[in-house]
Amino acid sequence: MLSRSEVASVLSGFPKFEDSCIGLPYGPRMPGHMVKETRKAIAIARKFNEKVARPLALKLDRRTHEDPDFLPWDLIDEANRWGFYTMWIPKIFGGQGYNMPSSSFFLEEVASACAGIANVIGVHYLAVAGLVASGNARISKRVLREVIDGEKSGKPCLLALATTEPGAGTDVEEVELLDKGRVTCTARRVEGGYIVNGTKVFISMGHVSTWTVLSAYEDVRRPSETNIGFAVKTGAKGFSFGGHENKMGQRACPASVLIFEDCFIPDDQVIMSAALVKKYSGQPNRDVSQRYIDYVVSATRPGVCAFGTGVARGAFETALQYAAVTKVNGSLLINQEWAQCLLAEMYKNVLLGRLAYTEANNANSLRGLYRILQIKPVYQYLRFMPRIWFDKVISPFLDLGLTSRVMGKLYFDHAKPADQRCCSGWASVAKYAGTDLGVKNCQMAIELMGHRGLRQDAGAEKLLRDIKLLQIYEGTNQLNRLNAFKCLIAPAVPQVKVFEE
Amino acid sequence: MSILNSDDLKPFADLARSFAARELAGKVAEHDRYPFGRFYEEVLAKLHDVGFLNAVLPIELGGTDFGIEALCAILENISEVDASPAGIIYTQALSQKILMAAGAGKLAASLSKAGTAMKTILIAFPVYIDPASTDTLPTAQITGGGYTLAGRIELLVPGNLTPHAVIPARTGRGPDYSFFLVDLDGKGVEISDPVFSLGLHACPAVDVTFGGAGAQLVGEENAGAAYFAQVLPQMSAVATAIISGILRGTYCEALAYAQKREQGGRPIVQWSEVTMMLANLSIKADVAAMCVCQSCRELRQKQNGYESRISAATLHIAELACEATTDGIQILGGYGYMKDYGQEKRYRDARMVQALLGSVPMKKLARIRCIPEVGTNTA
Repeated sequence: MLSRSEVASVLSGFPKFEDSCIGLPYGPRMPGHMVKETRKAIAIARKFNEKVARPLALKLDRRTHEDPDFLPWDLIDEANRWGFYTMWIPKIFGGQGYNMPSSSFFLEEVASACAGIANVIGVHYLAVAGLVASGNARISKRVLREVIDGEKSGKPCLLALATTEPGAGTDVEEVELLDKGRVTCTARRVEGGYIVNGTKVFISMGHVSTWTVLSAYEDVRRPSETNIGFAVKTGAKGFSFGGHENKMGQRACPASVLIFEDCFIPDDQVIMSAALVKKYSGQPNRDVSQRYIDYVVSATRPGVCAFGTGVARGAFETALQYAAVTKVNGSLLINQEWAQCLLAEMYKNVLLGRLAYTEANNANSLRGLYRILQIKPVYQYLRFMPRIWFDKVISPFLDLGLTSRVMGKLYFDHAKPADQRCCSGWASVAKYAGTDLGVKNCQMAIELMGHRGLRQDAGAEKLLRDIKLLQIYEGTNQLNRLNAFKCLIAPAVPQVKVFEE
Repeated sequence: MSILNSDDLKPFADLARSFAARELAGKVAEHDRYPFGRFYEEVLAKLHDVGFLNAVLPIELGGTDFGIEALCAILENISEVDASPAGIIYTQALSQKILMAAGAGKLAASLSKAGTAMKTILIAFPVYIDPASTDTLPTAQITGGGYTLAGRIELLVPGNLTPHAVIPARTGRGPDYSFFLVDLDGKGVEISDPVFSLGLHACPAVDVTFGGAGAQLVGEENAGAAYFAQVLPQMSAVATAIISGILRGTYCEALAYAQKREQGGRPIVQWSEVTMMLANLSIKADVAAMCVCQSCRELRQKQNGYESRISAATLHIAELACEATTDGIQILGGYGYMKDYGQEKRYRDARMVQALLGSVPMKKLARIRCIPEVGTNTA
């Protein structure tokens, strides 16, 4: 009926087949072993929930209300013992090298028990993504090696990502807004490094992290052109913490204020800068900055969707348990049709959330940040080569400037803009879909459970408090809708302008 | 500003507004720390001083007899700043209304005598249930000259602050129930620590276990549902007023923040998506205020079906409030999620107020089940 070229031509119209049905082309290309690995990650999470997360969730929440300055050191030690801070660090950096999409399934599981505890694990990988997506292999190796060593020694080494400022939240997520915004964290060039001044807020796990991946600006009047990233170690002179943020939920995971006062950061802790970018790319720093942000959020926003899906599931499971044992008007709720339909609706929301992050991860696997790791021969090579091969043979290459330049070129010059748009758009869609569905489920659980749902010891109310944050961080859901529009819809409409209202 | 602003009601609204500005504003987060922080007894004493705790009690019974419409105006304005004290006033009014519906006005009067200490005039009530649809009420037995209670009641508000409570209990196996006045300081009563709940922290609730506690029957045996139904329209209207206040507070704080906060080089109020969200908040707040007014009018006119219409308004406005308080946080972004601002508390409080007088699904189902021809087919 249609020739191959006609099919290609028809499918290239809006919505493009390649952009809207990612799972179909990705399916045959996915290394089969990823399924086995993902099953194992889910099983580990379930075991962790049974042994640690579920018994701890409500106690920890209560404890943080009793003592707002409480920090979850014991929980971090426990997560470190379970190996959670190295599971998704690639093998070339010495980590366990689990496939990245499996982290979403893992986080959904843990978030179904407690979103705060899931964040104590998950937010570390937000910073890992911020580090690795820079393409700077040398500093990535240095920092991530400390994480590996921290696991072996029993002294956890965690990473935090610091971008949000008191006057700039949404602005720092989008280059189009960055130059109009009010960023104030400055980096002044001095001999041998930079002097950093400024404040960062809402930094998850800031107080308990060893390394902070920090963004600052050499010229705050031209932030997108002068964006500079650092890895700064806790304890560095001029780097201190303000108070804890007093959050409504997810209280197991502290949010910190970070203060930099004439903090000297040496050149060898610069992750990314206009000067470094020039060494491997002819693109303006502004464009590279946008591509870097896109890489990071494309990889991490599906994880937020997984958190939302997990909380949606927690709400469903709590409501199901309540309905199964509670009699109203003489009969068990679970035997009343309206309750069955409501529970089915909640279950549907869980499934839709999972489909959303799975498809966003499919985009990353096929066309995004970790595409290379999931090409079948590369995947199998990384799987079967002994650890000593990476430690002794590969590792020294990571210190070479050439390696970072090659990685930078691969990430920022060779990646197609259309691929990045697709990944970024899907990540945004997943983020607001999963978190909005989570809020819906929590509301339904609270309504179903009546007065019982209002009590902290029944679990549902904590879910409602926890879920709300997910609509805000990693870009508000409104910003994510605009980004989805920009990436997935606007290319089909020539006259459209985004962020220029 | 509320539209409950007739000449008659304006003084009450003004009084509540000035009370909230003086005693509550700026201290909301501190009051909300309870039960992990101190309780604001001094604020409660002042609520008593201005007569808010006896607002529905007739003057001849020692009350201030402000009336339901005035109570709506008062709680709407207080809740705009902090719904927790409104929860305590609401519970007191509900307890007194139940006692009066049961013909025990004098009992209510004796508990609320002028000059009595604030704590002893409070009458606790399990405000988050409709006793008729609750299968686990305490049981009451006649022993000797009176009744004794056994069993447990959850979320008795404010059971840790007062010795008096009105408790629904069943005397037989059927669904009927009766109301009893119980001395919470008496024998056979075990009171938990304040329950850590979603919201309204400064309107504390406790769980109470009865093991042969003495109880005084209020009104007639097995007439609890009739008394409850009698006060339901009035107390639903008052609940709508609290929700309306929460909505007004949500909108005002969101608007003020959006005018001040800049992103992308302009105040976020100029971002049309934020403008749209604010517009939706304002619509919900205005509709809620109108529903309070109309509910009061319905209570005055008592035309056929008014109970159903008032109940519908409460359910609808509570649903709007749950959506609106979610968006209210969203407009403030990360700051909205922090306890330094009022939005996260309104998000929590809205769900608490939504659950007053029973769960949402039960209240919805009851609307159809109470139609006789439907009710007989769905036993």
